[in-house]
Amino acid sequence: MAQPGQPRVTPDVPLSEAPAPDPSARRRPRPQTASGGGRRRGADGPAVATAVARELWLAVQLPHYVLESLQPRATTADGTAIPGEAGPVVVVDFERGGKVVCDCDPLATASGIVPGMALNSALALEPGLRIVAREPRRERALLDAVAAVAQEFTPRVSLEPPDGVLLEVRGSLRLFGGARSLCDRLRERLQARGLDARLALTPAPLASLWFARAGSEVALRRPDALSARLAPLPLTVTRWPARTLQALATLGVRALGDCLRLPRDGFARRFEPRLRLDLDRALGRAPDPRANFIAAERCVLRRDLEPEIADTGRLRRALEPLLEELCAYLQGRGAAIESLELRLLHREAPATRLRLRFAAPVAAAGRIASLLQERLARTDLPEPVRAVRLRSGALVEAREEAGDLFARDRRRAAAVPQLVERLRARLGGKAVHGLCLVPEHRPESAQKNGDIGVVSPPSQARAGRQAGEGECPLAPRPVWLLAVPQPLEGDDPPRYEGPLELEDGPERIESGWWDGRDVRRDYYVARTPGGVRLWIFRERRAAGGWFLHGVFG
Amino acid sequence: MSLDELLRHPALWRAREPGEAAGRPGLPTGFAALDRCLPGGGWPSRGLVEILADHTGIGELSLLLPALARLCCDGCEAGWLAWISPPHPPYAPALAACGIDVGRILVVRAPPAEWAMEQALRSGACSAVLGWAACRDRQSLRRLQLAAEQSDCLAVLFRRLRDVSEPSPAVLRIALASGRDGLEVRILKSRGGRAVSVRLGWIGAASPAQAH
Repeated sequence: MAQPGQPRVTPDVPLSEAPAPDPSARRRPRPQTASGGGRRRGADGPAVATAVARELWLAVQLPHYVLESLQPRATTADGTAIPGEAGPVVVVDFERGGKVVCDCDPLATASGIVPGMALNSALALEPGLRIVAREPRRERALLDAVAAVAQEFTPRVSLEPPDGVLLEVRGSLRLFGGARSLCDRLRERLQARGLDARLALTPAPLASLWFARAGSEVALRRPDALSARLAPLPLTVTRWPARTLQALATLGVRALGDCLRLPRDGFARRFEPRLRLDLDRALGRAPDPRANFIAAERCVLRRDLEPEIADTGRLRRALEPLLEELCAYLQGRGAAIESLELRLLHREAPATRLRLRFAAPVAAAGRIASLLQERLARTDLPEPVRAVRLRSGALVEAREEAGDLFARDRRRAAAVPQLVERLRARLGGKAVHGLCLVPEHRPESAQKNGDIGVVSPPSQARAGRQAGEGECPLAPRPVWLLAVPQPLEGDDPPRYEGPLELEDGPERIESGWWDGRDVRRDYYVARTPGGVRLWIFRERRAAGGWFLHGVFG
Repeated sequence: MSLDELLRHPALWRAREPGEAAGRPGLPTGFAALDRCLPGGGWPSRGLVEILADHTGIGELSLLLPALARLCCDGCEAGWLAWISPPHPPYAPALAACGIDVGRILVVRAPPAEWAMEQALRSGACSAVLGWAACRDRQSLRRLQLAAEQSDCLAVLFRRLRDVSEPSPAVLRIALASGRDGLEVRILKSRGGRAVSVRLGWIGAASPAQAH
């Protein structure tokens, strides 16, 4: 909660501008200054403070995401040109014919080229144009990268493909010293990656997005200010279907304000109900749940080494910042890793691949570094290393163990499902099972594969044991029972790794006429020349013959 | 530096003295003759036990059953008994007759038994882990031994007798052979103990706990 006396509402001024006294603040058109100022006065009163929204959504929109996704890393001061490649650049989508300019750099813009222009017209304007193919996969990766940056500011990040990311920052404002400071930092982080972003902050995610798409960088904290501020935005920011927009345009509806003035029922009837919902959401009148962005399950880092490194000791030192970055990544997710792959890239020779596997999940840079050091010491580099690529294994939950005097039993009980889950995850569900006793005379039916996690109470287990003893006080049972009885060669005596010596028996088992799996057998305990005790039977039905059914362990 | 000082160095271990592992009481095997030969008076409670035998069923499980039954008697504190890649399906009635709580048995059919064994050891859920693995790879053996050393659990690896010449990090290595008058247990390696042979006579599932 804000302290009384302090203003709770950030002034409604464009984010990108300096504080109010700065003369540059007046450069941009601010049509809503009057209303914003009026509200600001009221914001100090407790009655108005309740109008402050519970959520504040910061929208990040990348107007040049198509171009930026193709740049390895724009490092020039103005973050524009592809390094090393001078000249105007346009991006075209070859999958859609490649005839239309999707995006262009400032140099091309200066020549009069705009996105949406036919490629031929663009070439006519600027014959020296460099044409680059659009890569949707890299665009998506760019958005993920932006979301990963956004996660440094808030845990609630949502993607708005293809070019937007939403951050819920209500809880982060205080930590980052207010909306302006947070936005500045975010912009700084994005600019470091060569990204030009538009930011807008409002209580409704959709409204933020629309403001950002319109290039209107606002910071509104009160839902009731939304409708007035949204009104001048063009309808294209909604990205509704072109047909709908056209239909609205024929009605003379071109701005959001016109749309909001239309009668609600008629609008819903004439157009899709989704549009009405969109408007309600943008005004903060309808709930607008957003799917949380979940970061990639791996951490991949790359670093170019300049100059090349031939000595493993120096290489280790060069890797330290990478490990630090990895551990910061892990810490941010409360995760740890069990394996790590390091590829050392050379100029000519194939990459040297080092794979580290940890006995227990680790998240500490020190431990990884010490393992890596040992590994590097044993590695011969065929050539100097030009670049390093680090790829973490799948992330696992980092376990923090607290000491507890009586924890052992509880830990055991809790560990069983985890173990079973893990084993099943790798080996398949059927590979892991328990055992269960069944009161039955037929040996193969006296047990079944049970479910795990159902620990039979001790009393029941004892009862089962006593029953087992009571049923056959003399007859021994083998520890191993073959799934299918194995036919034995020979007759009197049968042979298995040599002639068998019958020790005990016969024990006649005749049962099961009721379910079709009738057995009539004489069981014997036999010993092989090697000293193995077997449980064999002579089939008493027509077919006859000897079978091996079990092995005494 | 005098010799005494040198001998007090923590990194030095003299074979004559019982080591750290031997100081811990073992898990009674149920065979008095065998208990007498093992440091700690039983199966080591930490570290890998290797049992080498050429035939399945020579008596390798009968040797362990009394100890497994004892582990089940701990009441609610008892952990699970994991059987990893057993050569045949274990038979619950026979195990129950030996006093083992079959509800606590976990059977895992895993082609890479070493991995599953390591997971079971590290999970802390088991009081005994029995694994049947070829273990051709020395590194995986070493990992198993490390995992067994860190867990509070009886870890037994069954291997073939032909692997006897390969070095092993196990705490205890036992070779089993069947002679004319019963099972012969040869202790090949025992940390803190001696390498001796013990004859246990005919032991079987029906009549455990008979020892000379």
